[in-house]
Amino acid sequence: MLQSLPYELPELITRAPLDTHRSTVLPEWVDWNGHMNVAFYVTAFDQASGAFMRNMGLGRRYVDGKLGMTFVLETHVTYDRELREGAPLRFTTQLLARDAKKVHLFHEMYHADQDYLAATNETILMNIDYTSRRSGPWPVPVTERLDAIWETHKVLPKPAKAGRVMGLAKR
Amino acid sequence: MIDLDLRAPLDRHPATVLPDWIDWNGHMNVGYYVVAFDKATDTLCQQFACGWEYTRDKIGMTFVLEAHVTYDREVKEGDELRITTQILDHDAKRIHYIHMMYHAKEGYLAATNELMLMNIDYQTRRSAPWPDFAMERIEKLAAAHAALPRPVQAGRLIGIKKK
Repeated sequence: MLQSLPYELPELITRAPLDTHRSTVLPEWVDWNGHMNVAFYVTAFDQASGAFMRNMGLGRRYVDGKLGMTFVLETHVTYDRELREGAPLRFTTQLLARDAKKVHLFHEMYHADQDYLAATNETILMNIDYTSRRSGPWPVPVTERLDAIWETHKVLPKPAKAGRVMGLAKR
Repeated sequence: MIDLDLRAPLDRHPATVLPDWIDWNGHMNVGYYVVAFDKATDTLCQQFACGWEYTRDKIGMTFVLEAHVTYDREVKEGDELRITTQILDHDAKRIHYIHMMYHAKEGYLAATNELMLMNIDYQTRRSAPWPDFAMERIEKLAAAHAALPRPVQAGRLIGIKKK
C-alpha cells in the first residue's frame, strides 16, 4: 500500500453531491439517430468518474507516475432523455459506498441550460497496482480523502435509480 | 431482408479493437466497449430488419433505455473480438438481450452488456410497437434462444459486498 503520493493533491471538495464536472456533446458523439450515442454517455460519465478520482488525488499523474490505475468493474446506465450535438452538460456524483480498494458511485447527467435529467450511471471502480495490473488497496492519503467525502455523502438519500435490475415489467 | 439466423445464441459479429479505442491505461476504454457492443446491437437488429436501413429510410428507430456492462478482462489494440447475443425477453415495443464479448483467439470472456431496446416512431420520436415484419422475426429468434441457460451476468445488481 502506498503511504503517500509524490505530488501535491488538489484542494479537497467535500460538497455532497460533487458537482464540479461539466462537458459538451461533441460532434463525434452523435449517431445516425441524430442524438448522443449510447456509448458516449458512458464516455462522458467516465470523465465524471475521472473528476471524482482527481478530487481523491488520483489524476493523470497517478498513472503517468506508474503508481497505479483505476479500472471500472461494472456500470449501469439509464438513458432518460436525448441530447443533441453541442448540448452543455453538468454532472453530479454521489459516493454510495467504498471499501479498501473500491468505490461505488452514482452520477446524474443534466442538460446544463434546460436542467432536465438526461441519464444516470451507477458504477464501481477499483484501484489497480501499476506493475501487477491487479487490484490493490487505495493509497493512504486517498483513503483519508474518501473517509472525509463519505462523511458528507452518507447523509444523502439513496437515488431512486440506484440499484436497478433490468427487466420487462409484467402487466 | 437477410436470411434469419436461428443459431442460438446469435454468433455473427466479429470486431477488432481499434487504436482510437485505447486509453491512457493501455487498454480498451470503458466507453468503447459500449461502441463495440452497440455495433453488435445493429447486427441483432438487422435480423429483424430494424438496423441502419430502418432509420435511413425513415421507417423507425431503436433507442436504448438501459444498459449494464460488466468489464471482465482487458483487451488491447488489435485484438480480435467475437460478440454473441442472446434474447432474454421481449414485448410489443421492447427487447431485452445480452451480448457477450470474447477474445476471438484466446476465447476468454472480456465483457458483457445487458440491454433494453425500444422501438421508436420516426416522426414522433416516441415509443411504438414493433412493425409486424419485425415482430414475426423477433418471436422466432426469441423462441430459438428460449432454451439457452440465462447468463449469470444478466439481472445483476451493482454493489460492494459487505464483509
